[in-house]
Amino acid sequence: MLEVNIEACTGCKVCERVCPFGAIVVVPETKKAKVLDNCTLCGACVSACNFDALSIERKAVSEEELAKFNKVFVWGEWERKDGKIVIKNVALELLGKGRELADKLGESLAILLLGKEVEHLAPSLIHHGADIVYLCEHELLEEYSTDGYATVISSVIASEKPSVVLYGATPNGRDLAPRIAARLALGLTADCTGLDINENRQLLQTRPAFGGNIMASILSPYTRPQMSSVRPNVFPKPDSDENKTGEIERVNVNLKPYSIRTKIIEEIISHDEGINIEEAQILVSVGRGIGSKENFKDVENLAKELDGTVSGSRALVDLGWLPHPQQVGQSGKTVAPTLYIAFGISGAIQHLVGMSSSDTIVAVNNDADAPIFKVADFGIVGNMHEIIPEFIKLLKEHKQRN
Amino acid sequence: MPTNIILAEKLEFAPFDEIKSVKGDMIISESYPSYLVDESKISAGNAEWLFFPTTENEIVSIINKMKEENNIITISAARTGIVGSAVPFGGAVMSLERMNEVIGIGFDEDAQRWFLRCQPSISLDEINEFVKFKKCGQNQSIPPESDWAEKFLEECTMYYPMDPTEMTASLGGTICANASGARSFKYGPTRDWVRRIRVVLGTCEVLNITRGEYIAEEGVFTVKTAGKELIIKTPDYQMPRAKNAAGLFTEPNMDLIDLFIGSEGIFGIITEADIWVKEYNAQMSNVGFFKNEEDAIDFVKLLRDDVNLSPEFIEYFDNNALNLLRDKQKIDPKFVNMPNIAKDIRTAISFDMSYSEEDMEKVFTQINGILQKCNSSLEDTWCVYEDRELDRIKHFRHAVPEIVNNIIAERKKQYPSIHKLGTDMSVEDQYLKEIMKFYQDSLKEEGLEYVVWGHIGDNHVHVNILPRNLEELKKGKELYMKFAKKAVSYGGSVSAEHGIGKIKHDYLEIMFGEEGIGQMKAIKCKFDPHCLINCGNIFPMSRCV
Amino acid sequence: MKIVILVKQVPEADKVAVDPETGTLIREGVDSILNPYCEYALDQAAKLKQEYPELNIEITAITMGPPQAKAVLYRCLELGADKGYLLSDRKFAGSDVWATSTALKEGVAHIEPDFDLILAGKQAIDGDTAQVPAETAEQLGIPQITYGVDVKLNGKRVEVKRETETGYQILSTRMPALVTMSKGSNIRRIPSMKQVLDSRSKPIETLSADDMNIDENKIGLQASPTQVDKIFAPPAKIGGEIVDGSDPKVAAQKLLNYLVENNYIKR
Repeated sequence: MLEVNIEACTGCKVCERVCPFGAIVVVPETKKAKVLDNCTLCGACVSACNFDALSIERKAVSEEELAKFNKVFVWGEWERKDGKIVIKNVALELLGKGRELADKLGESLAILLLGKEVEHLAPSLIHHGADIVYLCEHELLEEYSTDGYATVISSVIASEKPSVVLYGATPNGRDLAPRIAARLALGLTADCTGLDINENRQLLQTRPAFGGNIMASILSPYTRPQMSSVRPNVFPKPDSDENKTGEIERVNVNLKPYSIRTKIIEEIISHDEGINIEEAQILVSVGRGIGSKENFKDVENLAKELDGTVSGSRALVDLGWLPHPQQVGQSGKTVAPTLYIAFGISGAIQHLVGMSSSDTIVAVNNDADAPIFKVADFGIVGNMHEIIPEFIKLLKEHKQRN
Repeated sequence: MPTNIILAEKLEFAPFDEIKSVKGDMIISESYPSYLVDESKISAGNAEWLFFPTTENEIVSIINKMKEENNIITISAARTGIVGSAVPFGGAVMSLERMNEVIGIGFDEDAQRWFLRCQPSISLDEINEFVKFKKCGQNQSIPPESDWAEKFLEECTMYYPMDPTEMTASLGGTICANASGARSFKYGPTRDWVRRIRVVLGTCEVLNITRGEYIAEEGVFTVKTAGKELIIKTPDYQMPRAKNAAGLFTEPNMDLIDLFIGSEGIFGIITEADIWVKEYNAQMSNVGFFKNEEDAIDFVKLLRDDVNLSPEFIEYFDNNALNLLRDKQKIDPKFVNMPNIAKDIRTAISFDMSYSEEDMEKVFTQINGILQKCNSSLEDTWCVYEDRELDRIKHFRHAVPEIVNNIIAERKKQYPSIHKLGTDMSVEDQYLKEIMKFYQDSLKEEGLEYVVWGHIGDNHVHVNILPRNLEELKKGKELYMKFAKKAVSYGGSVSAEHGIGKIKHDYLEIMFGEEGIGQMKAIKCKFDPHCLINCGNIFPMSRCV
Repeated sequence: MKIVILVKQVPEADKVAVDPETGTLIREGVDSILNPYCEYALDQAAKLKQEYPELNIEITAITMGPPQAKAVLYRCLELGADKGYLLSDRKFAGSDVWATSTALKEGVAHIEPDFDLILAGKQAIDGDTAQVPAETAEQLGIPQITYGVDVKLNGKRVEVKRETETGYQILSTRMPALVTMSKGSNIRRIPSMKQVLDSRSKPIETLSADDMNIDENKIGLQASPTQVDKIFAPPAKIGGEIVDGSDPKVAAQKLLNYLVENNYIKR
């Protein structure tokens, strides 16, 4: 509960101005602050109040208790490529960030590797920063399942007591992490874009909300481990160091078929496996401005000339013009190519959150007021259908000359 | 006591050189091309001068200078008009865009109504944002010594109910056009919402006209200026009883303000206006669907005649309009953001009402009775009331003209001279069925592509003819004339809301004849003796004699 | 058969902005709506009711929020739900994901203990965490399938087409279960006047924490492992060079030059 100390309150209205939710007002008659029903206890007013008139009562946990937890954990999600099991980039990105956090805390960095036969991945994980690989191999872990993976990871966390656990915010990561958080009654912060350790040795988790219109930093002061999920391409992939050593710790897994309640009936690959917009260096992305499906030819040609990959906004996926795995944005993928060229994409906030960390953004749109231009490094206000053919022509000439 | 005598106020000339301006037709057509066109899409005009005045003194200084240079002046603001009124053909463009502020807010104690005082170039959207979110400053009370601005903050949510579809339109433009739109069905046209105007005449003097203060006596107003008295004779033609925006308004013992409202700016420049604002009621948008045209028209008649129901507007979409939506939906479902319309539906009627949980059962039962008489039902009628859903239905209503414009733009590529033929005619209530049948029969007979949609509550639907070639364009024009004559014979108007502008002179003559137009010209020559301002609007450009 | 839909009222996210000077949310003109993903769950529930008339499906909509969140229950009742419950209590204030899912779990257990299927949106567009449904499923001890795009019933099992990173998979699990929807029909439905009128006579009940006998220590801020440290405006990115593209040849050349200068195209 947010409490107002009526004696101390001067009715200065600072709280009213800083409240993000309009949930505190100064009543004109009494000239005192009043808390409304929509208060979320975010604390913005408490820190702004110059008269210590506002307070939120929070519980306290002893530091001794918290100090029992150490080690930074990363979930080592993998995928199949051409039938081979390979580690997902996001797991490596998390190792990079995890290394940084572990060093700040003076703790070791461990990765949780679950699967049927996945030991071959371990050396590379160590080279990318892991001190320990918890290897959890079992027949029933051959494919991802909520029940199987949540059970195994929960038990490792319970016995090893890490201080931090990081998950990739992939579809499976977002399926798994909350399950574990609920089981262990832990905090979990989704889709973090920043992770750091504060002066109290707490994990400071920064994430966007309201589709990226506001940022919030989140703490889990009283529970351990502190858990976060991070979208792919948010943190850089660390370099591999072949000389780095670490240990592999094999975990005894005890699973029964009936404990996995969800069965996979069919797997449908809906697009060319070679296309992975999350890993592409150059993305040629299109939105509603493309007008018709026929116009895709030009875009594909351009992508080919630039050695790029085609992606698009949600509108095109809804229209069925582009498979869902090629969608950029909040309900699609987060990408961070070196070059992102947006054609006919207006740049709704849901799209921008999925691509704004690209190194260079080029936008072509006929609406000069399109929000995409606010994030673009280079923008052209014009007709994409006229500009693309001209550009392809120039590009070909340029290549011939060189 | 009302009088028919008004004093004109003389204004000082601001230093001409200090007025922001651009000179030269080349530079204007290259760097300021948007000032040479409006939404009529008639071919771009040209201008020697482009002015951006900020005060009445600057305006009179410009008029004086243009008189010396023998240049005509075209007034320009948002340029959302669709009859070419803001398109200049030579002379100067006077853009009022820098006069776009709310001056203040006041309460008329006689009328017991709130009013907003604005400069002419403020948009309707901006007005509503100001009123709805109560953005008034403490120094904005009218009169300044009152505390109306403070009191306004305590009022319920208010708004300005004029909605000519294009909410970026300027207030001044909508007053000059007496703009209406769907909602005028309930709230009347702009005329009914103007309390007071200030207008700078072609004589470089200003009139301050508050409604109710200046009433014609035996068809005459006297304007006293510094040097002489202008005797203004109001026209004696009969106004159509149907909704009308064609020609000057007249009636026996008319109010002087009404002569200016709807005058398409031919007498002078409105520099300030007071408009009424009213309490905002939550809204509900409904769309009924009918398997044939007759049922739909019966529904319209029963709905508007029902004393217990008071719809905000009643809008019509014929089967061709629905087909445009159906086709567009197949290619771009998001553009037509609505569920599919059943195949056997041939007509849709969109009607908004105020939303009230308390009255819902009573009102819906009443509507159900009417729907059933017309072979439809509550089950078949869409109903929304959340803001974002209201926007969705609004988009549905506006999608048809947008699709039509896109089709025409496509055809222009093959035939550059092709354009949409959009009628804007109204008739009296009792002729609704006849005129609708006349439109449909004639269009089918000629084999033209067309859609019919619009403000059926006011017996004012827009027939849009989409010519596929030049021959059809010619046929369409002939049909347009035929429709205009028929509408006038049904007590209607050739232009119920768009105005005459520079492109509908011929049709105006059907309504008022040469004599009527002569009377209008005579008034113009009094207020604008050098015939400088907005020449070519309402009647062809010609110098006063 | 009993289907529960968990729904949330959210502000229209793309209209929310932060005033860079004061750091407060700008709320003018921002409406509260039914979270779009929850609308897919509602849609799916209504579709199942239509597809399996023999199952006598009854749909219960549950939301947690302030009193005005009742509006989203109306929308649910208009578009197919049979009854609605609003869990509303000052004691819920400050709930994070864990505390929210605790309240929802208690709500479901109190209102519809013998439910067969829970449908929810994959995430809410204000918080975007996508965590509440899975945590609720865990707390109820039932299996979950996330990112559903289509749901079919098959005896005691539910079959879900689920979005994956490379396409789709079909998953099956035994009910009771929870499914989150990430997609639905492309076009939001529009209720009929009849549906709006009928919805007004369907039951809506508001329940407090005490009504559901929820232990105060398990909800609200006290029970929330995470806390908001601060809220701030994202750093504004300054747009780069914008060129006029009315002449496509000129624009294309400028684009080429830009890409060459920045080494995206070899010189």
